[in-house]
Amino acid sequence: MRRVVITGLGAITPLGNSVEEFISGLERQECATEFIPEWQNYKGLRCLVGAPVRMQDEKLIPRQNRRSMGRLSIFAVQAAQQALSDARIFPEELSSIGLGCVIGSTMGSAESIAEAFETILPDNDLAKLTSTKFFQCVSHTAALNVAQYLGIIGVVMSTNAACASALQAIGAGYNFIRMGEQDVMVCGGAEGLHPTVVGSFDVLFAASSSYNQSPKKTPRPFDAKRDGLVCGEGSGIVVLEDYERAKKRKAKIYAEIIGYSTHGNGSHVSESNREAITLCVKEALQKAVVAPQDVDYINAHATATIQGDKEEAAAIRQIFGDTVPVSSLKGNIGHTLGASGSIELIASLIMMEKGVIYPTLNLEEPDKDCQGIRHITKPLNKEINILLKNCFAFGGINAALVCKKEDY
Amino acid sequence: MIEQEIIRMTNEVFTESFEIPGDKLTPEANIFNDLGLDSLDIVDLVVALQKKFKVTIRDDERVRTIRTLGDIYNFIQLIKTEGKQ
Repeated sequence: MRRVVITGLGAITPLGNSVEEFISGLERQECATEFIPEWQNYKGLRCLVGAPVRMQDEKLIPRQNRRSMGRLSIFAVQAAQQALSDARIFPEELSSIGLGCVIGSTMGSAESIAEAFETILPDNDLAKLTSTKFFQCVSHTAALNVAQYLGIIGVVMSTNAACASALQAIGAGYNFIRMGEQDVMVCGGAEGLHPTVVGSFDVLFAASSSYNQSPKKTPRPFDAKRDGLVCGEGSGIVVLEDYERAKKRKAKIYAEIIGYSTHGNGSHVSESNREAITLCVKEALQKAVVAPQDVDYINAHATATIQGDKEEAAAIRQIFGDTVPVSSLKGNIGHTLGASGSIELIASLIMMEKGVIYPTLNLEEPDKDCQGIRHITKPLNKEINILLKNCFAFGGINAALVCKKEDY
Repeated sequence: MIEQEIIRMTNEVFTESFEIPGDKLTPEANIFNDLGLDSLDIVDLVVALQKKFKVTIRDDERVRTIRTLGDIYNFIQLIKTEGKQ
């Protein structure tokens, strides 16, 4: 099996449209949640807060490429360009059969899907649809658009497992390289904010609705006063590369991926459970040949739902006890759903590089169900040699990734 | 004589839907070679013209003969005239 390293990072986030801006926002402990007045026009939507991206420079993408892109694909393309530039992989190298991409999202562009139905349904007239709406709406819209725009001719694939999409994409890319089928993979996730997406959580009482008038206080991962998630948007893209190839070209190596696991819980579509999470995390650690006490940092999924945080905390408590530092970044950027795994992994890799752990924003008093693990509520200087990233999705799909500092 | 309103509204379609600067929009401009439209754009052009002029042209064979912006002005004028008869 080949070794796989991460050599490039790119991010479009509610805290800024580059990795540097994103990290700077985390360091300032900013919360990107804001009240979105237009959402009051939707009957039955209780959650009126979200964490939007300020889209920039989209017109730098030529119109004939951009026409097939919804909001999330534009984010994915911009993040992929950043990641490849960071990895010093140049445009002329992209059209190689050894270079592929796996990029996931919960679904196609929600905004484009809503527009398509708004166009068709008043008169049941399909002739009113534009030619490229389909490409904005399909599940693999981010992967196809990134591949088309960059001229990628290797593997092109999409993972669509809601909030585990990005981590599954990275896991798939990791396996393609490990098995020797690809040399470089552009991987991650993307998501676009839209009230219909928020509504899917709101209808299940899983979205935050008590802080519409004080948006900076939500979401509140692990906190006793948490009341649900806040949807965000953006894209995180990482460049994965065969270790030998990266060494040969003297690439900067952020980390090596040493373990990955993904499982279904086989029990409930929306309720995560501690046994399934435990199974997934333990398997990732076993594959990485890492003992729980060797993990220096856990970047939790922790979205601030009552059920999810409780179950994740229980699993962490069972495996790691109260010694390994844990934080969630959802308090800063909301839940970027299909992009969360990669955006938060990128932040975790920068934490590894800088030797600091960014805390869980809005965690003031850990809920009794979430105690017994080592919550980080203030920035903590600490050497991180091994980190764990968790992602858990609706549909009962879990994923966990273990990364190691290159020279450790 | 083409109605100025038809020219203005057609040009609007090209600036709004295809982001083509107004100074390129001359009657002689070939919509493929000069304005850069491709096969997917033609689908969208038809959709946009139908919406703009409230006409139905999708299945009109004459659409296939359009080459220049001037052809579109003439075609729309013709369709409008036919609609009045």
